Amino acid sequence: MNQPSEHDLHAYVDGRLDGERRAAVGLYLARHPERAAELQAWQRDAQHLRASLAGGPALPDNPALDPAAIRRRRHQRTVARLALAASLVLCLGLGGLGGWQVRGWRAAALPMGDALTAYRLLALEPGTRPDLVPQRDGDLQGWLDRHFQRRVAMPDLRAADFRPVGGRLFATEQGAAAMVLYRDAAGHAISFYVRPPGPRRHLLPRGERIDGGLLAQYGSGNGYNYAMVSRADDADAQVAARALQPLI
Amino acid sequence: MLHHPLDDALRELLPRLRRFAQWLTRDPTTADDLVQATLERALSRWSSRRPDASLRSWLFAILYRQFLDGRRRAQRHAWLLGRLRTEEEPQWPSAEREAVAHAMLQAFARLNPEQRSLLLWVTVEGLSYQEVAQILEVPIGTVMSRLSRARQALRRLGEGETTTPTLRVLR
Repeated sequence: MNQPSEHDLHAYVDGRLDGERRAAVGLYLARHPERAAELQAWQRDAQHLRASLAGGPALPDNPALDPAAIRRRRHQRTVARLALAASLVLCLGLGGLGGWQVRGWRAAALPMGDALTAYRLLALEPGTRPDLVPQRDGDLQGWLDRHFQRRVAMPDLRAADFRPVGGRLFATEQGAAAMVLYRDAAGHAISFYVRPPGPRRHLLPRGERIDGGLLAQYGSGNGYNYAMVSRADDADAQVAARALQPLI
Repeated sequence: MLHHPLDDALRELLPRLRRFAQWLTRDPTTADDLVQATLERALSRWSSRRPDASLRSWLFAILYRQFLDGRRRAQRHAWLLGRLRTEEEPQWPSAEREAVAHAMLQAFARLNPEQRSLLLWVTVEGLSYQEVAQILEVPIGTVMSRLSRARQALRRLGEGETTTPTLRVLR
């Protein structure tokens, strides 16, 4: 008799074959003991896999994953986006009146773009892990001290309930940059980003800009360029602004 | 806040999605982030859902695609930023490590993400071959041959042999 199709063999293993076709595979296997042994082993593996996965430890509750919570966050983001769109319309209106040049606007949008990229990578990408996850207070400050010659004082955002959750180093054209990510109980992220000014010693005047719903506030001090990146909403932006104040 | 009837269905599927994400990412925090991103996408795309696909396989498809996209983006970002260390050895938390001590799970953990997904969908979740073909966007014949390779690989790993590099590259 003909050899059954691959589909029928798997369906046989998975118990999804009925009647004649099941009988046909059975007949074939009776004449091909080696194949029969392999299929039996597959079937055993499948049973073991089901049993072992079912026996795993129950996952701890994660309220952030509840659909209602996700709906709420989506709603908040929509509101924030609308506010941003409104401010952009206002901006464009003013720009039209003031005769702003698009070119000038673009140039102003460049500083510390790497800080925004780093924030997006670490705070928004599932699957990106920090280099260092702090186990104790001071772990991240020690890590910064090891990577920067002059002291870089890591902001303390505990008063606003943001806690440091990880640090990661990045290579930039200006040299090694470091980012510390903070999160609050709601999962909001704020980042502290620091890098050397580069060989041309390009220090920045204090400034800020919004890009894709994120606010970067930046400036220079003690020979380094700093940026705080947060969501563009008021509360987070104020926390970030307060943190940047003593550094620049 | 309005009560959405859909939320109950999502809540019921949550443990399955989390389990799948755990086995895909092999990192509990990343897994939950992935589930969260999946649910957000599902809610925003609800109206464009294919009516013939089951809710479960639709969510698995979103999650799997988010995982692949995330991995690709992370690699690209890492390259842009001059970092090549994205595919680090996954960190198992200690509780997980105990579970993995089981020989079967150990072998399962060593399969590649696609093979883990395939076996989970077919043998644990009981998705139809057709649903799996839709998730992976490949013909059903391809699903069957990949399933054969996944089962052979699991068999080999379970018997204590290691896969040869060529077999790992083959998809």
